[in-house]
Amino acid sequence: MNPNKPAPEPGEDPIRAHVFDGIAEYDRRLPNWWLMTLYGGIVFAIIYWMATQHFNRSTDETRLAAELQRIEAEKIASSATALDTATLWKMSRNPVFVNAGRATYQSTCASCHGAALTGGIGPSLVDAVWLHGDSPDNVLTSVNEGVLTKGMPAWGPVFGGKKISEVVAFILSNHAAP
Amino acid sequence: MANGPASNSKIDERSAGHSSPGIRQSLSPRPNRDAVTTIREDGSRLFLHPADVRGRFTTARRWSGWLLIMIYLALPWIPVGGHPAVFLDIAGRRFHLFGFTLAFQDTWLMFFGITGLGFSLFFITALLGRVWCGWACPQTVFLEHVYRRVERWLEGDAVARRRLDAAPWSAAKVLRRGGKQTIFFVISAVIAHLFLAYYVSVPELWSMMSAAPGTHWASFVFVFVFTGILYFNFAWFREQLCIVICPYGRLQSVLIDDHSLVIGYDTPRGEPRGKAGMPGAGACVDCNRCVQVCPTGIDIRQGLQIECIGCSACIDACDEVMDKMKRPRGLVRYDSMTAFAGGRTRWVRARILVYAGLLAVGAIVAAWALSTVRPANLGITRLTGAPYFVTAEAVRNQFLVRLVNKRDTPARFVITLPDAPAALVRTGLEGTVELAPLAEDVRTLILQIPRARYAGTFELTVHVTDEARTFSLEKTLRFVGPDPELLKEDGK
Amino acid sequence: MSDRKITLEYNDRIVRQFLLASVLWGAVGMLVGVIVASQLNYWRLNFDLPWLTFGRLRPLHTNAVIFAFVGNMMFAGVYYSTQRLVKARLASDFLSSLHFWGWQLIIVAAAITLPLGFSRGKEYAELIWPINIAVAFIWVVFAVNFFWTLKRRHEPALYVAIWFYIATIITVAMLYIVNHLSIPTSILHSYPVFGGVQDALVQWWYGHNAVAFFLTTPILGIMYYFVPKAAERPVYSYRLSVIHFWSLVFVYIWAGPHHLLNTSLPGWLQGLGMTFSLMLWAPSWGGMLNGLLTLRGAWHKLRTDPVLKFFAAAVTFYGMATFEGPLLSIKSVNALGHYTDWIIGHVHAGALGWNGFMAAGMIYWLLPRLWNKPLHSQSLANWHFWLGTVGILFYVAAMWTSGITQGLMLNATTDNGTVLAYPNFIETLNAIKPMMLFRVFGGGLYLIGWLLLTYNLYRTLRGARPVNGSVEVFVTGRPAEERLGFGSMVFNPPVMFSVLGTIFACAWMFGGDLLRLAGLLGTALCVMLAWVHFSTRISRWAAWYERLLVNALPFTILTFIAVAAGGLIQIIPTTLVNRAENIEGRRAVPYTPLELAGRDLFVREGCYNCHSQMIRTLVPDVLRYGDYSRLGESIYDYPFQWGSKRTGPDLAREGGKYPNVWHYRHMENPRDVSPGSNMPNYPWLFTQKTDVTSLASKLAVQRILGVPYPDYTDGELTETVENQEKEIAADLRAAGAYVAPDREIVALIAYLQKLGKYETVKKEKKKEVASSE
Repeated sequence: MNPNKPAPEPGEDPIRAHVFDGIAEYDRRLPNWWLMTLYGGIVFAIIYWMATQHFNRSTDETRLAAELQRIEAEKIASSATALDTATLWKMSRNPVFVNAGRATYQSTCASCHGAALTGGIGPSLVDAVWLHGDSPDNVLTSVNEGVLTKGMPAWGPVFGGKKISEVVAFILSNHAAP
Repeated sequence: MANGPASNSKIDERSAGHSSPGIRQSLSPRPNRDAVTTIREDGSRLFLHPADVRGRFTTARRWSGWLLIMIYLALPWIPVGGHPAVFLDIAGRRFHLFGFTLAFQDTWLMFFGITGLGFSLFFITALLGRVWCGWACPQTVFLEHVYRRVERWLEGDAVARRRLDAAPWSAAKVLRRGGKQTIFFVISAVIAHLFLAYYVSVPELWSMMSAAPGTHWASFVFVFVFTGILYFNFAWFREQLCIVICPYGRLQSVLIDDHSLVIGYDTPRGEPRGKAGMPGAGACVDCNRCVQVCPTGIDIRQGLQIECIGCSACIDACDEVMDKMKRPRGLVRYDSMTAFAGGRTRWVRARILVYAGLLAVGAIVAAWALSTVRPANLGITRLTGAPYFVTAEAVRNQFLVRLVNKRDTPARFVITLPDAPAALVRTGLEGTVELAPLAEDVRTLILQIPRARYAGTFELTVHVTDEARTFSLEKTLRFVGPDPELLKEDGK
Repeated sequence: MSDRKITLEYNDRIVRQFLLASVLWGAVGMLVGVIVASQLNYWRLNFDLPWLTFGRLRPLHTNAVIFAFVGNMMFAGVYYSTQRLVKARLASDFLSSLHFWGWQLIIVAAAITLPLGFSRGKEYAELIWPINIAVAFIWVVFAVNFFWTLKRRHEPALYVAIWFYIATIITVAMLYIVNHLSIPTSILHSYPVFGGVQDALVQWWYGHNAVAFFLTTPILGIMYYFVPKAAERPVYSYRLSVIHFWSLVFVYIWAGPHHLLNTSLPGWLQGLGMTFSLMLWAPSWGGMLNGLLTLRGAWHKLRTDPVLKFFAAAVTFYGMATFEGPLLSIKSVNALGHYTDWIIGHVHAGALGWNGFMAAGMIYWLLPRLWNKPLHSQSLANWHFWLGTVGILFYVAAMWTSGITQGLMLNATTDNGTVLAYPNFIETLNAIKPMMLFRVFGGGLYLIGWLLLTYNLYRTLRGARPVNGSVEVFVTGRPAEERLGFGSMVFNPPVMFSVLGTIFACAWMFGGDLLRLAGLLGTALCVMLAWVHFSTRISRWAAWYERLLVNALPFTILTFIAVAAGGLIQIIPTTLVNRAENIEGRRAVPYTPLELAGRDLFVREGCYNCHSQMIRTLVPDVLRYGDYSRLGESIYDYPFQWGSKRTGPDLAREGGKYPNVWHYRHMENPRDVSPGSNMPNYPWLFTQKTDVTSLASKLAVQRILGVPYPDYTDGELTETVENQEKEIAADLRAAGAYVAPDREIVALIAYLQKLGKYETVKKEKKKEVASSE
């Protein structure tokens, strides 16, 4: 900075000699910070490109797959361990799961299958007749994916793994374990 | 094309006038109408150091600024009805506003907030010019009343600050500058954290701050980036935001008319400028105080300009000089352009009336919209799959009812079908449905009608209230089934 | 040649014609916009008439405001300013008139065909092929007229506005022609030559740059002429206009894939779309800065001059829209905002704020000059401005609220992110319904403002006499040394550094290990050398550019190279690579003839205006709609129907989700099966017969395009169609709904039930038919 240099008059502005239909043009420098946003954008693009295309093996697809696996794991984890037949039977003897399942059942399932599980619009869940397989994992599948042609909707997307497994545990609690 | 080392061409080395005789006010800008003061001719930034100013507007602005800052700081802390006064709980999908709780389904009410703010800005600007910019905008409030105060405290007045700018790097300068930047960064971090508190509540913020960043990456990165942006903005970018980036400042400029209040210079009274006692001189003594105090680097005497944020510093500066000169105040003042030209300001004009009318209509609609908000929400969809089922006895429709309790207490809902045909058999949602505080639940509703009584599609109403009947909600459903003629044919 | 003085009279008649047409079509286009917005709120407003449904009127709205309103406004502005900037009368009165009447005829043809359902099914490119040819022809007429005028200019140097006009003319021609390449099946119908991902890429290369080179560059040119004229101020910075022009035209063209973020578009293209969009921010703001700081010197006139008010607000909205655009191009922001009303709000901030206000400012400035009579009422013009700003505020606020609300609700999950909080799409739609009403209000205010302009124009013109501008020019021979030959056009530092730098950068981006390293070093070296050379030889760079400015043809060629680069690099690899390898392990099962007929109905009714067919690689999308879409699943889609907006749910895996009777009832009255839906009824699908006769020629074209259809005889074709029709009709009958098998609804159901069916392609090339659900 040189405070001793006399200030130029406004008339000394860098104006271009040529005039188009009365329009003159100054030739001012661009604000440096504006130029920095341009350069910054380019630098970001280079870094982003290297990070996503050159030095990264993960793609949207692999990230999505990983996230879906996490969700799957979460579902399994929240519905006890692995949902095999034995586990479901074990859950059906545990009042923690059974009571939680009863609450969900009464608010959602009872309207078709009856408050006492004896059936109504839907089939009875206490008799020995199983329309879609009698093993606990068949029951789980029916609740999860539904039987659309009969009007039984897929409850998996509505309730998630935890509630579904509790409901199955509650239903099984009305049956004798093998 | 290149213009050589003209980087300091906007420098005024004339000494200041009457307010501080003897002190060289070098390096203060000399604005003109053809170029932006804060962008030097080489494109670099001219960093402004506005001089101190005292006066009634400055005092009033400081009070109002601190009040606004206090409100900002306090809102997430003050409990109203069991929640912070403002708690926008995105994760829990509930918005708590001054004891009022809204669910995600009510987010559309945000529209009234946005348009209300926007429209008030239109209205106030038409009346009072850019008072928002000068008095209430967070940019101005934090910059003028927090960051610049810190700068003033650590580095001294404008002259000292310029001297420090020009001084070579020394241990003392490093200490001062480093200290200032550190404090700036800390303040930015505090503002950013508090901003997050509006979305996660203070206790949650505290627990996040005490935990490792890895447990809440999204929030951590957000606060980090937001702190960085605030720091960059308030420590360096400052008035450039108002001049170049901010659209509201420009929109306000175009919303001003001849009768809107603006900060202006009384040209007939002030011109020609000259020292006191000079024959024929106007009231302006050309002391340049108004330029020295301007935070955006303009000369108010050149008329309305894009940079002017209406901060009123130049009014106080000029009044101070006029007081010393024993001349009436108001050479620079709040007034309309009409009044500056010698006319009379018309406060009430068609545009103001229309704006006021629209604002009133907006307020009424907003009030009505808010009054439709119930302490519960009702949503009905069909169960996925076929639209209807035909059994040997009946036609059946299946619905899923979503109930939201927005109260802090458990609610017991009563669901009725007031206009359903007598033959309709309903299962599900009988008796009362109990929901925990702020809970949301989905229930099935199964409707059946005997085949013999089925005569085609009909509509019915689902009505929800609570046991005490404190509210009522309704939704209309369509009960559908097969073509009744075909059904009869099938039955044969 | 010796100097002599002549007086030129400008052809301002053509300017007046285009200006009046713009005002008229603007009103029509905005009115249709208000109607379609109302229909979103009150589905009954189509009165059960096919030609009034949203799916057919929305293309009419977009085409009308883009091509009729802004198009005519642009032609008026270009013709007015070009004549004055180059000091020459338009080259040919005949071409000018042909341009005007041809363009109006195209608009009328569009206004008739679009409501009748004649559509190519691609956004902003819906017009059928005979009209496409007319558009291309008239555009060439425009180009010839413009460049011929440049050739006859008496002003040697080209002003910055002309640069933007040149970029507009050549780029729009390139975009339009490539995106409209089709093979006709009849006089009114054609299939595009690109399908699936290629069609998507070409479409958004076109769609994005229609915004860039139809709604932005010509208007920037108009800004560079009319803003300094109206403000009576010099332009703020010449060198800013140089930098922002070249960076804008070069960068803009690459950003198209940002319309396809998180879709099955290959990752490298998405990366280019996102990064170039972010790089576009600074060039766009360069234009805003130049406009704004030019206006700065006249800021005190804003209060009184409605023209300057409109310009200042327009430049501001341009700045807002070009800030929001890069923001929305960030993949994570896009995941929230895409397919929602946020995008609609973004577009309208640009369209209403930038285009509409630039048009208004220009018209108010031109009226007194073209008709030699002061504007009837400044105060009405001010009212127009105030109503317009309030209208934009309402509109944009409604769309932001709506978009963000719906985006948050669609993405909301519970139980540690394993279950959607609102699994049914309709719940999110119900939450934003009030916004659909407020947007009508905002748009209505804006329309009223425009009608004030129309009235003001009418009063100004009444009794006014049109007047043509004129200028005195000296005719001189141009010195030969100013001519720029091919050699000096190419072999000079700015061009060589740019070309080499781009080539090296491409080698770095796309090359293998060694090439990548070489590319990186080369790019770095290029940038450094260019920097050093520029700093030391700045006057030579400047002098060369000054020479370029007096040479229109070299300027045009260089501009074309700059705009063509991005498209070539993005599109050629995607169209040329073996399609069979680029399908991500899945291949669509070709549509049966009946399903194809149903698909053409889907296109006819404009279903893509509200329904996407693209499940993105995002968790909420997958939880809601099923497995994400693979490239191969749309390989036989001519045109692609990935969509750009979800007013209703995605349909990519709709097939098999519901029984046939659900679709039957849904098309009859969507509220029967979807309480709260705002979709219109489609009663005519139940009475009109499926067009089977045209299927033979359609299949023939599809075979040419590479869809493996057997060579049906007429009898076989009819039998195949009828069998499938009967099967569906029988299923409907069993569920209690009767319809004659030959009705359109049956074909449409056939198509909808097919969506999402694919075969898995294993490496051994074994095929295994599977379905998504």
